[in-house]
Amino acid sequence: MTLARLPIFILLFFMAACTENEPVVKVDMSKVESVAPLGSTSAITYAYLPQYSHSVSFERHRRLLEYLRHKTGLSLRQVFPNTFAEHVKMVERGEIDISFTNPFVYISLARLGSEAFARVVEPDGGANFQGQIIVRADNPAINSLADCRGKRIIAVDPNSAGGFLYPFGLFFDHGITQKDFQEVAFATGAGGRQEAVVLAVYTGAYDVGTIRKGTLDIVRDKIDLDQIRVLAESRPYPGWVYSVRKGFDPAIKDKIARALLDLSASRHDDAPVLAAAGMIDIISAHDEDYEPIRTLIRRLGLNGDFQ
Amino acid sequence: MKSLFSRLKFETKLNLGIIAIVLGMASVLLPVVAKMTSSALVTENKLRGAALVESLAARAVNPLLAQDYLVLRNLVGEIGDVVYAFVQNADNRVVTHSFAKGYPVELVDANRVGSNERVNVQLIDTGQIFVYDFAAPIMVAGERIGTVRIGLSKSRLNATTKQFVSALATMFGGVLLAAMALGSIFARTVTRRLAKLRAHAEDLVTGSLDNLAVLPGEHFCWEIMNCKETSCPAHHDRVRRCWLVPDTKCACHACIIGPKPSSCRDCPVFLQNVGDEIQDLAESLDFMAFTLRDHIRGLRDAEQTLTNQQRLLSTVLDMNPDLISLVDTRMIYQTSNRAFAQSVGKTVAEIRGLNDFHLFSEEEAERRNLEGREVLITGERVDRQERVDGPDGRKWFHVVQIPVHDESGRIVSLLRMDRDVTDIKEYEQQLIQAQKMESIGKLAGGVAHEINTPLGIILGYSQLLKEDAPPDSQLSQDLAVIEKQTKVCRKIVADLLGFSRQGQTDKREMCFNNSVMESVSLVRHSFELDRVQIVTRLDDSFPIIYGDPEKLKQVWINLLNNAKDAMPESGGVIVVVTKLKTPLGIVTLDVADSGTGIDEVSLKKIFDPFYTTKSVGKGTGLGLSVSFGIVKDHMGEIRVDSPLPSDFDLPPLPEGAVKGPGTIFTVDIPLDHGSEY
Repeated sequence: MTLARLPIFILLFFMAACTENEPVVKVDMSKVESVAPLGSTSAITYAYLPQYSHSVSFERHRRLLEYLRHKTGLSLRQVFPNTFAEHVKMVERGEIDISFTNPFVYISLARLGSEAFARVVEPDGGANFQGQIIVRADNPAINSLADCRGKRIIAVDPNSAGGFLYPFGLFFDHGITQKDFQEVAFATGAGGRQEAVVLAVYTGAYDVGTIRKGTLDIVRDKIDLDQIRVLAESRPYPGWVYSVRKGFDPAIKDKIARALLDLSASRHDDAPVLAAAGMIDIISAHDEDYEPIRTLIRRLGLNGDFQ
Repeated sequence: MKSLFSRLKFETKLNLGIIAIVLGMASVLLPVVAKMTSSALVTENKLRGAALVESLAARAVNPLLAQDYLVLRNLVGEIGDVVYAFVQNADNRVVTHSFAKGYPVELVDANRVGSNERVNVQLIDTGQIFVYDFAAPIMVAGERIGTVRIGLSKSRLNATTKQFVSALATMFGGVLLAAMALGSIFARTVTRRLAKLRAHAEDLVTGSLDNLAVLPGEHFCWEIMNCKETSCPAHHDRVRRCWLVPDTKCACHACIIGPKPSSCRDCPVFLQNVGDEIQDLAESLDFMAFTLRDHIRGLRDAEQTLTNQQRLLSTVLDMNPDLISLVDTRMIYQTSNRAFAQSVGKTVAEIRGLNDFHLFSEEEAERRNLEGREVLITGERVDRQERVDGPDGRKWFHVVQIPVHDESGRIVSLLRMDRDVTDIKEYEQQLIQAQKMESIGKLAGGVAHEINTPLGIILGYSQLLKEDAPPDSQLSQDLAVIEKQTKVCRKIVADLLGFSRQGQTDKREMCFNNSVMESVSLVRHSFELDRVQIVTRLDDSFPIIYGDPEKLKQVWINLLNNAKDAMPESGGVIVVVTKLKTPLGIVTLDVADSGTGIDEVSLKKIFDPFYTTKSVGKGTGLGLSVSFGIVKDHMGEIRVDSPLPSDFDLPPLPEGAVKGPGTIFTVDIPLDHGSEY
């Protein structure tokens, strides 16, 4: 090759190197269709009080629902209310047949005619569960409940049992009411509020936080738990409860109740179902099991309605 | 094409070069950059699309789970510059989309993504535009609850690419214009200097070597180096850089003559004064001009010297009476001196280029040619004498022919010199004659001396016998005859002794004119009887000489008698002239006659002893020989000329006399007494 032809060769080389071929799919954009209505489904609706994000809720109860579908032969569908209030409203409107809620919300649902039929046994607290008061581990100013006076406090939700009612009951037992705090705030947003409270304390946005016991394990992957100190824990109260709405078919309720009660952590197939839902067992429950909650509500001066 | 390009101006060439470079770069780079840009944009767009669709898939989890279609609709509407976005549920049914009116049915199945894939990208041709379709699964806890799809316009990417390429092309155009402008300024700067250089070179060609292409630097080597070496040739040389001056005397710098020698690289003088290549060229031109000027000056000096020498040589040659000529190996005349040119009737300039046959008769030319060629072949010089009988009489030449060699010893030409030696030849003849006469004189003297004594005895005895013999007797008459003839013999012997100067001389101071007049008086009367007149024109100053009056009178009477004898029967005139020539220290006697003259052959022999033109019994032929001897004895000269010179003032002849060519004898006697006094 002579020198004179070298530039031509280089040019051809570059042009060849730049050529690319991508597969193309032809689409006729003129053929359009409207979104068809999904239509009504006859499935039994199942909702998990949105204390976590929908995906967490979905992940926790997906296997349980599959188990129930398989066990009862019923068609069940999980629905995801965005807030506690929406959950209550949906129960009231009959859009949620089976609710899995905290005892405080259950008190509200019970007023709407819901009926408890099962409750869960959690890994750390048996059938009951507790609330926790947390501060930053390196906060030297708060070493006791009394030190919380005048501080900024954040709670999960006014309707949260472990995240608000139980810790504030503990404060009340120690003579501290909401008025004694500089500020009382609640986590906002749809779901994930327990984690939000931990993060608010962790970042120093608030001095004190109230959460249900077990939350710290959930946020273990997000923050360094050594930075969080548990200041106090409330007494155990009855844990989360399954209830059916008013007017739900009792036979189906029983069928479901039996299926739930039939779950056993010792069984190989059931263990992952329970573990995914954060339970170790499901036991039967009755409305009277929740009297201590009603008592606490009254002591705190709350009207017991959903707020 | 090449010659056309070579004829273009440098500035045009530079601009064409810049245009070619920029256009070449644009041609090569624009497609490459366009492709690269397009590829980068596509890649970036795919990454962006993947990020968007993944983000949308993540954000769509909660609203999809909550069946919150308003939120879903807001989500797909939030994404800015996408062509479309839509969400499918687990059953692949479109639950929300960003299309204004329904979603394209074919689009739903145009791109599939697996549950284990993050994103799948598919290029879609809608017939109007190209769209990159991104599909991402909506996963919760490992379960797929739906699919998110968004479309990004590839056509817009292409437009962006085109925009970029247009901007790049515009930039190249700007660069081209700027480069041309800067190139033009640069070229003009360079060409202006080159034009000055060219003008300078043209000056050099036309011989103007004193101008400088480079102005002398502000700082000179002796200033920078603080050099005190005034004998250095670079010292105070305000024209040349020191590296162009030979034999500088820098002790610490090995300065060598020549443009930018390596030894100058670190020299502060060089670093301060050095310029770019054009300045180097200009300095080289200056150096060349300087050297050329020196050479030309040297050549002019040499030429002047050569001219002077040529003129001198020409003068020497032209002043030389010898005939000098130079021929080349072809026998063609290269040059000659003036004498030669005149001898052949030409000028010196006309001689060049001719040959012998142009200049001489065929016979002589042939002879000269053969002889010349012989010398050229053999290399042996010719040195001989040559007799030439020409219209001007007989002449003798001494001919020398010499071969001329060049540096390598080869014969390149032939030099011929012809010297006129006719006079020398005559002198030679005269010398021979004189020697001959001297020998004869000695011989005659010897013989006469030996004969004189017996003649005296014969005379004495004959006179004694005559006295004893009866006066009228036959014996007395016979004795008288013996006495008479013996006296004749004694006279002849006396003349011979006089000729050989063995006779007695009695020199003294005497009046030259008186001597002449006594002789004239003695013969005047008898001459007149023969119708011969004597006219005297004697010098009034009465010159006195030192000589023998009797012998001189013998000479004068001899000359007068010879003049009279040369007269025809009708008579004639004899003119006797004396002249005192004081500057020459001589006194001259002329004896001229109007007689029959002497022929040329006789003129040469006239002083020979016993040579006579007279009839037997009228003369012995010893008269002029004796006169020659007497004049020589007086340190003088005697010569003869016939016919008379035309300007000689001859008086009128006696009536009836016939005028002949005439003869004139001239005798010079020195006034100076010489060593004999």
